[in-house]
Amino acid sequence: MQATEDPLGILLVAANAGDGQAYARFLHAVAPIVRGIVRARGRGLPVDLHEDIVQDVLLAIHLKRQTWDAGHPLRPWLYAIVRYKVIDSLRARGKKVYLPIEDYSDVLPAEETADPLDARDDQREVDRLLGQLDPRSAEVVRALELREEPQAEVGVRLEMTPVNLRVTLHRAMKRLAALARKDLP
Amino acid sequence: MTTTDNLIRRLATEPPLPPFNPRRMALVMVLSIAVPVTLFLLVLGHRQGLAAAWSNPVVPFKTILPLAASAASLLLLLRLARPGARAGGAVWLLAGPGAVAVALWFGAYALRAAPERFAEVSAASLGECLGSILLLSVVPAAVILRVIRQGASTWPRLSGALAGLTAATGATAGYSLFCTRDNPLFFVSWYGAAILMVALVCAALGQRTLRW
Repeated sequence: MQATEDPLGILLVAANAGDGQAYARFLHAVAPIVRGIVRARGRGLPVDLHEDIVQDVLLAIHLKRQTWDAGHPLRPWLYAIVRYKVIDSLRARGKKVYLPIEDYSDVLPAEETADPLDARDDQREVDRLLGQLDPRSAEVVRALELREEPQAEVGVRLEMTPVNLRVTLHRAMKRLAALARKDLP
Repeated sequence: MTTTDNLIRRLATEPPLPPFNPRRMALVMVLSIAVPVTLFLLVLGHRQGLAAAWSNPVVPFKTILPLAASAASLLLLLRLARPGARAGGAVWLLAGPGAVAVALWFGAYALRAAPERFAEVSAASLGECLGSILLLSVVPAAVILRVIRQGASTWPRLSGALAGLTAATGATAGYSLFCTRDNPLFFVSWYGAAILMVALVCAALGQRTLRW
């Protein structure tokens, strides 16, 4: 099926030309497809992780959307990304794998989950949770979330780009949220 | 509204990305090979009597085979930079120079007397040949690995290997204009070894750096 015949293709053509509404519709249409594949492939995973993987895949589509050639069918391109990222995300949750941080754009939602530190008034408890992160991620959380230092200053001090900071913070907060959930009775 | 809906809302407000441009990427990759090779040849010069050497029908293969392999692997690399793309006939373009090189090697082995076969092999000649190709490959390999990250290969290790292959074969084609050892048993073996080393290193690097 050519792009012009595929409703998803039409939406992505418009999206790549800058139509944000078409892009939102495209992503909303793709999300259930991804969700279905994640559900089928990720049977061994906790259900609450499925949506995290769906988001990883949508983010991957977002970051690589310009690699689709509108002269070619959309579906093989789309399914190749979905398959690659679902497998990658599943593997990442099964064991630690390297993911280049620079490949993520600066659009990651840092406040995606409730702040896992909100309910942790006890300083020792916060330190204990942060102690389970790698030192760099812990320092990013301390600087940006606890001490509320300006991002630019933190970036200079830790020699990290704004994109790296945001991605590191995003991942650290997700990890903290998971750790905090595990601690709940 | 779910977090996924929130994510979609945020992503949809992002400006569109610049178009994926394989031609521009190819140009940068070719330049990354051509510039170090040209500098190398400007500083050290090409072999004496290059034109005369090319009258020997075997000698042009030293340059043409790696050049063809470099072009084919570049094509394949760019093709695989798009998710869902298939390698197609480009694989055969890549296999062609390899097959000719193997034929040259066996031909030379069969035609040469035993003492002549590996007469040119010495620590100095190996060091010069392997060292030069490896050194000349460093910059192009780094640039090509960097540039191909604009794509989205779903085969990071293979793409890494192709990046190394493109760089090393391109560097070899340039180096061959300097090299005076025309025995296929020498140049097929040692050019091939150097190319293989770069490809393997880049495959390992690609596995790490081309993930997305």
